[in-house]
Order: sequence, then structure tokens, then C-alpha cells
Amino acid sequence: MASISLKNIKKTYEDGVTVIEDLNLEIKDKEFVILVGPSGCGKSTTLRMIAGLEEITDGEMYIGDKLVNDVSPKNRDIAMVFQSYALYPHMNVYKNMAFGLKNRKVPKDIIDKKVHEAAKMLDIEQYLNRKPRALSGGQRQRVALGRAMVREPAVFLLDEPLSNLDAKLRTEMRSRISMLHKELQTTFVYVTHDQTEAMTMGDRIVVMKDGKIMQNDTPQMLYNHPQNMFVAGFIGSPQMNFIYCKIVRNTDGYYAQFENYNIKLPDRMNDALSLYTDKEVVLGIRPENIHLAKDTKKKSFEMYIDIAEMTGSDYYLYGKLGGKNIIANVPSNMQIKSDTTCSMLIDTDRLHIFDKVSENLICD
Amino acid sequence: MKQRTKIFNGFSFSLLLLLSALFLFPIYLVIINSFKSKFNIVGTPFEFPNEDTFVGIENYINGIQSSGIVGAFFRTLFVTVASVLAIVIFTSMTAWYITRVKSKFNKIVYYLFLFSMIVPFQMVMFTMTSVCINLGLNNVIGIIPVYLGFGSGLSVFMFSGFVKSLPKEIEEAAMIDGCSPLKTFFMVVFPMLKPTAITVAILNAMWIWNDFLLPYLLLGSTDKTLSVAIQLTMQGAYGSIDWGGFMAMLVLAIIPIIAFYLVCQKYIIKGVIDGAVKG
Amino acid sequence: MEKNMKKYFPIFLLPTLVSFVIVFFIPFVMGIYLSFTRFTTVENATWVGIENYIKAFTQDENFLNALWFTIKFTIVSVITINICAFLLALLLTRALKGTAFFRTVFFMPNLIGGIVLGYIWNLLINSILGIFGYDITYSADYGFWGLVFLLNWQLIGYMMVIYIASLQNIPSELNEAARIDGATPFSILRHITIPMVMPAVTICLFLTITNSFKLFDQNLALTGGAPARETSMLALDIFNTFYGRIGWQGVGQAKAVVFFIIVALISFIQLKITSRKEVEN
Repeated sequence: MASISLKNIKKTYEDGVTVIEDLNLEIKDKEFVILVGPSGCGKSTTLRMIAGLEEITDGEMYIGDKLVNDVSPKNRDIAMVFQSYALYPHMNVYKNMAFGLKNRKVPKDIIDKKVHEAAKMLDIEQYLNRKPRALSGGQRQRVALGRAMVREPAVFLLDEPLSNLDAKLRTEMRSRISMLHKELQTTFVYVTHDQTEAMTMGDRIVVMKDGKIMQNDTPQMLYNHPQNMFVAGFIGSPQMNFIYCKIVRNTDGYYAQFENYNIKLPDRMNDALSLYTDKEVVLGIRPENIHLAKDTKKKSFEMYIDIAEMTGSDYYLYGKLGGKNIIANVPSNMQIKSDTTCSMLIDTDRLHIFDKVSENLICD
Repeated sequence: MKQRTKIFNGFSFSLLLLLSALFLFPIYLVIINSFKSKFNIVGTPFEFPNEDTFVGIENYINGIQSSGIVGAFFRTLFVTVASVLAIVIFTSMTAWYITRVKSKFNKIVYYLFLFSMIVPFQMVMFTMTSVCINLGLNNVIGIIPVYLGFGSGLSVFMFSGFVKSLPKEIEEAAMIDGCSPLKTFFMVVFPMLKPTAITVAILNAMWIWNDFLLPYLLLGSTDKTLSVAIQLTMQGAYGSIDWGGFMAMLVLAIIPIIAFYLVCQKYIIKGVIDGAVKG
Repeated sequence: MEKNMKKYFPIFLLPTLVSFVIVFFIPFVMGIYLSFTRFTTVENATWVGIENYIKAFTQDENFLNALWFTIKFTIVSVITINICAFLLALLLTRALKGTAFFRTVFFMPNLIGGIVLGYIWNLLINSILGIFGYDITYSADYGFWGLVFLLNWQLIGYMMVIYIASLQNIPSELNEAARIDGATPFSILRHITIPMVMPAVTICLFLTITNSFKLFDQNLALTGGAPARETSMLALDIFNTFYGRIGWQGVGQAKAVVFFIIVALISFIQLKITSRKEVEN
């Protein structure tokens, strides 16, 4: 069991490209931390540096209290699950799982016990004699998890383990991995590009972009209080609506103004907005915070619905607010047709306002 | 339409049959003559052995006794097997290393190996011979590293091509599972290289078994290989050749190859196609 | 991982690299140098500039003769081998009876070593010519055609299996589509089959070119260059210059360098053509 600590980590590849400039991250013991971001953001590189597969150019990496910069992967007490599973093709499932223990000279009967335990937990007992190529993707994935489990490592590293699975299996494996974390009581570091995976599985999510940490928080905080436009746009589906508007001060407070719409902003924002009077900002509204107006009050807006997408419990409404494309997410308890106009209400308590240049949060 | 196809197929089949007979004829000729008395070969080569000309296995006994072909056979077998093993093991290790460890030096080494494939043997024949003799490599053991050196171009090239197609993650998993690079190679990488290893082994075995000039220059007449023994028998005879014994030698040289071919045909043909396409 | 592996450099790289340097790299560099010197052993070389090269082309008619003979031989055998091999491959991909047997027979000569092959054909050709009271050393023409037949016998099966592999890779939908479009068997061959096997044609052409051009063992065993040196090909001529004419080792090495340059040019052209093909695919 171990915590992980990255201090001023820098990574420059041999061709001179720096993917990570200065990364600081603390991962507590037994925590399930997710590194998420678009491809090329450095999340996999970070994971591989923790594993020892990638050299650290500069900075310090600790697993437990031990400085591990120059420790080889096999001596870091870690196990890793790869996106491509990376099973040994010429060994059967049993040997795949036993290989790491055998290399560590664990007695045969203990290996046997551990492999069977893990296989039972993952429902792959009946496949122990099969070669990986005779297994389906989901089964291979479970073997890869089993291979990591039997080692009882201090840290579990998972690099996009579900990306090669189809949608249904992915949902199933998601809960399986969460269960596994609960049972094993080990530190998990999990890399993914899929924000749904990140939101559903992690205790804590680290959102990365261009080798930098954009926000490091719990799923609730990330969703409700994104610290910048990148996180706001990355987390949540459908994506948050961004509307460029001007802050105007009126006698009864601040308004966000765009085209011929005026939205009254809540008074709690007054302090923060005083600096932005008559300046352009970005207004962020999540689709589910745009509601259908029950009765046509003053505060409601007319929205032209281009397409109404029925997803089951919800409608995704793709429409226009003035000249701007907007997505709203409303319950599907009444029927909505494409090419109609609806009157909508914006939940002003759930607005996020961002600086147009720095893209950082001003207030929410 | 159907009728025409039938006629065409019948015609093709007969043609192929005739061609096969032509293809087998040279070998047939050597075999029948190996059973004829040496005085009847030159005069009536096409005749099947009859009561007057048939000598049983006399030619084989003479051929074996006079030329040392049995020794040559086992020597060739030893050199071929040992060199092929050395080539498969060492060049696969080299190919894995220079493909996975990216450095300027390794890149240069790789291109040197490629380059060696286009250099004809005559270019280095004389200088290589004197270097190897100076280093004491002119014996059946010493010739093994020589074959390793000459075989490395094609073999490294073929192994590298395959290593590049292997996912690196499997090796990384092995490292995390506690393998040293050496163990990773032999326990994980080499088993995956098996198809290429078979191809490399077959291509090199065919070359080394049949090779003439290199063993002629380095082993000469003291440690004759099969090809050298046959050439020296002819070369040393100056016309007074024992044709019967010579025919028997040729048959003895062909039989192991054909037996090997009939057993491993599938691998040989696949190996030759792979080697041609990649080489 | 790489850093970890680098420590293992001596085990992974050295055995191959040392052998390679000793038997190829050093001799190659020495060979280039020695081609500009007069020597009988590698220790007693004296610099003579390009004299050896001039000698090879002017004072030694064998070399130009061998060059010309090799070129003629290469052209004739490349054409005959590839046409025969392609026709056989076409026949053997038609799902006739006994295909496997025929393929086995046609490929077999390829495995027999050059020296043995040479003597088998020596027997056959001398037996036939013997009927008329000649033998293969009677005229250079006999030697030439003897070598052509021999190499055809050896390589047709080899090229055939490459063509067969390539023909079997043509998706059958293509032929079916063409038949529905009303194509005759001949136009299918011309417009579908041949364009689709072009990569194999390139491979086979260069394999036969380099095999013919570098021919040595078969040449030595079948004719040994006789009569006189008229049927010596380049490789045999170089060998004879080295080991048959004392004091001419430098010229032999110069010839070898010229030989190398020609072979390298052929290979270079092959590389260009195949890499261009790969881009197109």
C-alpha cells in the first residue's frame, strides 16, 4: 500500500519534444485517482513514468517514501493493465497470470492458490488453459486484470483499460473495476480519455491538457465548479454551452447581454463582476440547466428547435438562441418536435462566468 | 463452354505431366547411371541398367571410400546446424536490441547490415579469407562465426521487420512482471518471433548446406564439405574420373535435401516466399 | 526500459556485430583500398592508383568478355525463367488435379546446390551432345545455352511459387465482377490478373537478375569457363584472376569493386521501384 508523489516532474523525449513541463501531483494511499484528458495531454506519459517505463527528465517521483526515479519497473511494486491487454500470446491464461509470481520465486502452491482466487473473482476460471487468442476482448481484459491482481502490488496502474471494449462491456467492466478497488484496498491510478469513465469511477479526477493539470478535484466539484473553460467543456455530456456576452451594470445588479437578450445575474456574483463591467466574458450554461418554461413569464426565452433528440429519459434539444447554437437537456415527459419554437428558462443559479482571455473562472 | 474447359483442362494436365517428367529427367539420369558400371556411363548414358551394365551398389561403395563423402556429409550437417542455430539466436537478439533501443549507433549498425546484403561475395572474398585465416577461423568451429557474419544481413533485416510489428506493451508487461531484458527476450519475445525464426532458419540452412566457395576457401580439402568434396573429386581427376562413383556421390548429395524437402515442404515454400518478398 | 536494456548491449549486440565486422566490414574496407594497390598478400600492398582498373578493362580481354557474357546470359535467362514460371503459375492456380504434386516437382531443383546442379547438367548435356560426338566444351554457345537451361531448371519453380502466392491473393470478387461486366478470359488476364501481380513481377525480375548476375557455383561446375575462358561469367572470372594469375590480385580486387558497383546499382534500382510501389499501395 502506498501513496505516490510527483514533484516538479518534467518529461522531454529524445527528439527534444517536451510533453510535461512541471507537474506536481499527490496521490494518497488507497485512493482511486483518474487521469483524464484529450489524447496527447500527457496522461499516459505520466502513468508510464509512475510505472518506470518512461524515464523522468527532471523532478522527483516517490512511491511510499521511496525516491523511485532510478528504480526499474520490476522493483517499484506496481502492476499495470494495458489498453491492448499485452497478454503473452504463447502462454495460456494460467501462465500469463502466474508469470510475474514465478519470476519473483513465489512457491508453486501459493501461486496456484492466488491464480485460482483471482480467476474466481473475475469469472475466468474455466478459461485457465486457453491461450489469449481463444478469448473474447472482455475475457482478455479480465485476464489482464487478474495478472495484475495476483501480484498484490502496492499500486495498480491502468492505461485506458476499457477503450478496446464495446459499449455494453465497458459499462459492465467499469463497475467491476470499482468493485475490485473496494476489495483490494490498493492505490489505483487510472488513465482514460473518456469523461464518463472518469466521473463514474474515480475518488478524485485529474484533468490534464498539454502536459498541465487543469483541475484536480472530486467528480462533484469538477462538475459543479469547473475552474476553467477547458474543464467545463470536457466534463459533462452533452457539452456545456458557452455564450460570449457583455457584462452590463444596471440599477438592480449585473446583467449578461448578448444580441437582444439580457440575463440577470445573481447578486452573489456582484463583487467578482465589478471588475468586468462593460467587458466581454464567456457565459457557461450546462444543457440541463436550461429548462422548458412552464408558463411564458418575462424571464423566459424563445428557442428555435432544429433537432429534438430523444434519448429515452431525456430530450437533447439542438436549437438556436438568437444566432447562437445551444443544446438543452430536458426530461422527456412531454413530446417535443423538431422545427418548433419553445420557450426556455435559464437557471441563473447554475451559471458559470469565465474570463474571455485566460479562460479561467470568474465566478459561479 | 463446359466442353471447352474440359478439353483445356485435359490438355493442361497432360502438359504439366510432360513438364514434370522433363523436370525429373536430370535426376533420373543421375540415379540410373549410378547403378551402371563406370565404363558404360559415357557410352550409353540414356540406357536403363541391364544385365551387362548393372553393378548394384558397387559405385556407392567406391564413391564413399574414395571421396570421404560420409565425413563430408556429417561435417556439412554440423556446420549447417551449428551456424543456423547461431544465426537464429544471435541475429534475433541483435534485431530486437537495435529495434527497441533507439540510438544513432544502432541505426548505423542496422543500415550496415542492410548494405551487406547487396555486396557480392567476390568483393570481400580475398580479404575476408586472409583475415579469417589470420584469426584461426579456418576450421569447422571457426567457420560458424563466419557464417553468422555473412548471414546477419538478411536475418537481422527479417527479424527487425517482425519486431517492429510486435506491440511494445507485451515487453513492458514482462519488465513489470519482473523480467530482466535477457529473460524478457527469451521467455516472451523469442516465442513470438517463432514464425520468422523458422523462415530465417530455412533460408540460411539452404544456403549454408549448399555453399561452396566459402568452405572451399576456409576449409579447403582438409575439412571438405559436400559441395567441396564433389568439386574436388572432379577437379582432381583430370579426365580420368570414376564416373560411377561420381554419380553415386551426386545421388548421396541430393537424397538428404529431397528428403528434408518432402518432410518440411510447407515451411520451406513459405520461408522462400517470405524471404523473397522481404529480401 | 531502454536504459535498462542498454546495459545488456554486450550480450545482445556484440556476438553478431563482431562477426559481422570481422568477416564483412573490415574485409570490405580493405578490399576497396587494395583495389588501388599491387599485392600478393594483404600485407605487401603498394599504392598504384587506378592502374588496376585500367588493366582490368584494357589488358585483360577476359573481363570484358565475361561482362558481356554475363549480361547476355542474364537477359536471356530472366526472360525465359519469368515467362515459364508465370505460365506454370497460371496453370497451377486453375484448380486442376495434382496441383500439389506438380508444385512439389517444379520447386524441387531449387534446393539442390549449385555445384551438384552443375554436374547433373554436365552429365545430361554431355550425354546428349555425345550422340553427335561433341561435348559442352566444344563451343561457347553450348556452354551458354547449357547455363540458361540449368538456371531455368533451378529457378522456374522458385519464381512459380512467388507468382502462385501473388495470384492467390487476387480477390475472387474481382474476377467475378469482370466476368459480369462481360470480360473475356484474355481481357481478365490482361486488365486484372497481370496488373494485380505486378509487385510479384518486380520481385521475381530482380531475384532472377541478381541470381543470374552473381552466378558462380553452377558456372564452375558446368563449364568451368571452357572453352578457353569464353564461358566465364563475372564471378568466375574474378575468382580466376585472384587465384589463377600471380601478381594480378590487385586487378582481381578492382574487378570485384566494379562487380560490386554494378550489383549495388541493380539493387538500388530495385529498392527505388519497390518503395515507389509501396507508396502507391
